[in-house]
Amino acid sequence: MAENYEKIRDEIFNLDQTIDPKIDSQEEHSVEAPRYGCALAGVYGTVLGLKNAVPILHSGAGCGVGNLFGTLYAGGESCGVNEGGTATPCSCLVEEHVILGGEEKLDNLIDSTIKLFNSNFYVVISGCVPSLIGDDVDSVVENYQSEHPIIHVNAPGFKAHSLEGYNLFWDAVIESDLLEQQPVEKGTINILGVVPYNHVFWKGDLYELKKLFASIGVKANVIFADGDGLQNIRDIPKAEYNIVLNPWVGVRAAERLHEKFGTPFITFPGIPVGAKQTSSLLYRVAEKLSLDPDTVNTFITQKEEWFYRFAEYPGDALILARPNQYFAVVADSAYAISYTKFLTNEIGYLPDIVQITDNPPVEVRQKIIDEINNSLESTIKPDIVFEADTYKIRNNLNNRPFAFLLSSSLEQPTALEEWGACHVSASFPIYGSSVLVNHYGGYYGGLTLLEDVVTTFVGPL
Amino acid sequence: MSSQGNHNNQCNHNKQHGTYKVSSCKRKKIKEILGVDLNNKPEAQAIDLDKITSPNREQRAHGTNIYYGKASELLKDAVNQEVTMDERKFQQSGGCVLNFYLAVRVSTIRDAVVIFNAPVGCSSSALGYRELFRGVPEALGRPAQYKLNWMTTNLQQDDVVYGAGEKLRETIIEAQKRYEPKAIFILTSCTTGIIGEDIEGVVDDIQPEIDATIVPVHCEGVRSRLVQTGYDAFWHAVLKYLVKEPEKKQKDLVNVASMLSYTWQDRLEIERLLGKLGLRVNFIPEFATVEQFEKLSEAAVTAPICPTYTDYLSRGLEEKFGVPYFLYPSPTGFENTDGWLREIGKYTGKEKEVEELIKEERAKWEPKLNSIKQEFLNISNARKNGERLQVLGALGQGRLVSQMPYFDELGLDTPAAMAQDFDELIIDELADIIERNGDFNIMVNTFQAAEQANVTSSLKPDLTLTCPFQGGSWKRDTQVTRIHSLRGDPAPESAQSGYSGAVAFGEFLLRAFQNKSYQKTLSEKTQPAYQDWWYEQDDPLYFLDKQSDENKGVSK
Repeated sequence: MAENYEKIRDEIFNLDQTIDPKIDSQEEHSVEAPRYGCALAGVYGTVLGLKNAVPILHSGAGCGVGNLFGTLYAGGESCGVNEGGTATPCSCLVEEHVILGGEEKLDNLIDSTIKLFNSNFYVVISGCVPSLIGDDVDSVVENYQSEHPIIHVNAPGFKAHSLEGYNLFWDAVIESDLLEQQPVEKGTINILGVVPYNHVFWKGDLYELKKLFASIGVKANVIFADGDGLQNIRDIPKAEYNIVLNPWVGVRAAERLHEKFGTPFITFPGIPVGAKQTSSLLYRVAEKLSLDPDTVNTFITQKEEWFYRFAEYPGDALILARPNQYFAVVADSAYAISYTKFLTNEIGYLPDIVQITDNPPVEVRQKIIDEINNSLESTIKPDIVFEADTYKIRNNLNNRPFAFLLSSSLEQPTALEEWGACHVSASFPIYGSSVLVNHYGGYYGGLTLLEDVVTTFVGPL
Repeated sequence: MSSQGNHNNQCNHNKQHGTYKVSSCKRKKIKEILGVDLNNKPEAQAIDLDKITSPNREQRAHGTNIYYGKASELLKDAVNQEVTMDERKFQQSGGCVLNFYLAVRVSTIRDAVVIFNAPVGCSSSALGYRELFRGVPEALGRPAQYKLNWMTTNLQQDDVVYGAGEKLRETIIEAQKRYEPKAIFILTSCTTGIIGEDIEGVVDDIQPEIDATIVPVHCEGVRSRLVQTGYDAFWHAVLKYLVKEPEKKQKDLVNVASMLSYTWQDRLEIERLLGKLGLRVNFIPEFATVEQFEKLSEAAVTAPICPTYTDYLSRGLEEKFGVPYFLYPSPTGFENTDGWLREIGKYTGKEKEVEELIKEERAKWEPKLNSIKQEFLNISNARKNGERLQVLGALGQGRLVSQMPYFDELGLDTPAAMAQDFDELIIDELADIIERNGDFNIMVNTFQAAEQANVTSSLKPDLTLTCPFQGGSWKRDTQVTRIHSLRGDPAPESAQSGYSGAVAFGEFLLRAFQNKSYQKTLSEKTQPAYQDWWYEQDDPLYFLDKQSDENKGVSK
């Protein structure tokens, strides 16, 4: 049935595109404006997501201020607050350090940073330069480790990109002495896989998740944007379960925590958006933690009643003005999966094309495709493409039926003229919106996304 | 800074382009007052376009990014070529030659492609490229259609080990094919510098196959401590590769370097003023077309809005194409705008018209500026027993020398001035200001938030002007506002240039005195960035590495 309809559609829309889904290789070529930064950027944003932590950049002088524009502003127009951007301690390496080594400069920098900042956790992040000149950064950092919580993350920009930078951060944390085996606290979980700034709605999403889990009696350590960062990290081994909300980012951390502390984990493909995904996550966690089914059922029933009552209000707008609309998603793996499921399974929209921008490892690509395709209530399935190159992303959007585009703010100014599409800024980078508490995760967040989608087209009926 | 008498109008501003920017009469006065003989100041070096890039500002102008003390002392050191650049034990990420001085600027050039020959992170600051200038209404002259393009060579571990020449070559070919640009800028990085990539080799080899003009810019972050080296490196490449021999001289064309920190309204004001003289403006580099660069050689004059930003280009255009230039003053404040227009008048044969224009503009705007001045006086009478209000803040050394006289016009004192860097290129301007306004403290640092927080905390100015990018150091129980807005801002209130800009900025500064709840509340409710001792001790250069100047960092 779907094949017949798709044939009709393709004829009417003149749709004749065969796009390479790029399942077999990671992007290592030259590209236009990929939607991520480098490894250093990922560690940097992650550390800035921890309250009272200070990143110490062992790098050229531009790596902090560059990421003010490329990570913090790009992550919902956030400023650097006390520790980010031009306030970030940096060894500011130049030619003479390239020749003589940068270790002494770094040593002075760590010492002075500890004296100067109001903080309790220091993360030395090495960029390209120390890696190329062979600085022994670990030795410099080790000298401080007996007195201060300080770790080193080796993150040269040519080694990996920013999402992988999040993984590198956790590698370093788990290898360090910061985490100690502790008695497991029943009913506690850690949330992994939500990357500060790269997941632009991280602050609101984590706030929402913490509240949701609290409602079913689970204490969620969301680690970022909540309380003292170092304490949150130290509490990690206490958890009964680790919950990874990403098909690949944070998975390695969960595996290593399992090896080191025996903490079991589950992976969920993304931050849950809307009632169906959220209820599904809550049931899964409840089952793993053997929570009282009645409490969980009561809560979920109550939330769903509330959610679907509200979801009915835009009914006229949706059914009269824009029913069964084709949509396109351009986002990282986790957001892409959640948005595609939400629009397809909750408001009857039709997935046209999903472009996944975070260059995930080859071994998870087919799983991501299956995760999307196997969960959709529509008869038609989207084209799913792994693409990091903004030029190709734009080309892939040409001559397609979609009328809604969920993507970064890069497409926002021209979405209507280029593709005739209503645009919602939903993935990194987002320069065009101030993102403080706004989020699309959970029941509340799902309704917010519904609002934002409908807002793009409503007027007097 | 105490006001040491009004500006002496008898000493004629007979500035000449090139070597001396202040008159011999004024040089004599400066020698009497300060004991500094400007006749002995170091000569600017000639520009050698046979080289692949400019010298660093360290070599070219003995620049520094670290100083705190009397402006007169710094001036003396500069004339005697004794300015030093010590290492800091504590330093913050103030920016490198590539980021953000070039990355976010060059990527706004229209019908071009920028290739960042770098790992993927060095270009992320340019991610806003598709949204830039979109907020400017078309009615204000923004073109409806424009495309800004950039690519990264996305260097991987293997490229670093085996070399990335072939990858650059392929990227150039791909850029030509994709975008059909008129120019392809190649911006280099720390990584390509350290692994020793032969950029020119690739460019020479591939250029015959490529329609676009390839413009390699050497902006390796590690090459220099002075971010202004990035300006020079960029202009060097523009002069070397992009500017064409003039087809015809355009007597009504004025080159003006537009900058990140000058808004759309500044452009409009400059166009308005020069338009009244029958002149046209060629704004480069931001948001310019490639053709505008090619025609730089045809202009009647190159005029500054920031002397040290424009310096290398101005000298180069004169040396290579005979385009005259001046570097002082910039059109900030009434008196400087008068002077700026007069200089342009000289090179365009519009001296008479300029005098008419100044008269007309002053008649229109001066009453407004006077009302603002009066209001500042009212505030100082009400809050400080008539003592002049103190304002602290500056940015580039160019803004320092152009903005201080403007604050004086508003009746504001500047207890100290901050500049991102300092070098010999502004010796004359600094001398002129000290002569006009008296000595003052000057702090040189490139976005060092902790040092600025310390100085601000010990000087306790009535009004702090901060650049948008300075961490938590703006949280205070006093008036705080921005020092400037940015290029894509179309709001009339955001202008600072020319006469209308002087009035708009004055009104904007007055607003800061109407409500300080944001910075005050946040200073009470959030933790300060630094430990208390930092604010309590009075040496902003506490972490100066005094051991370092023997073998490191001295800029000679």
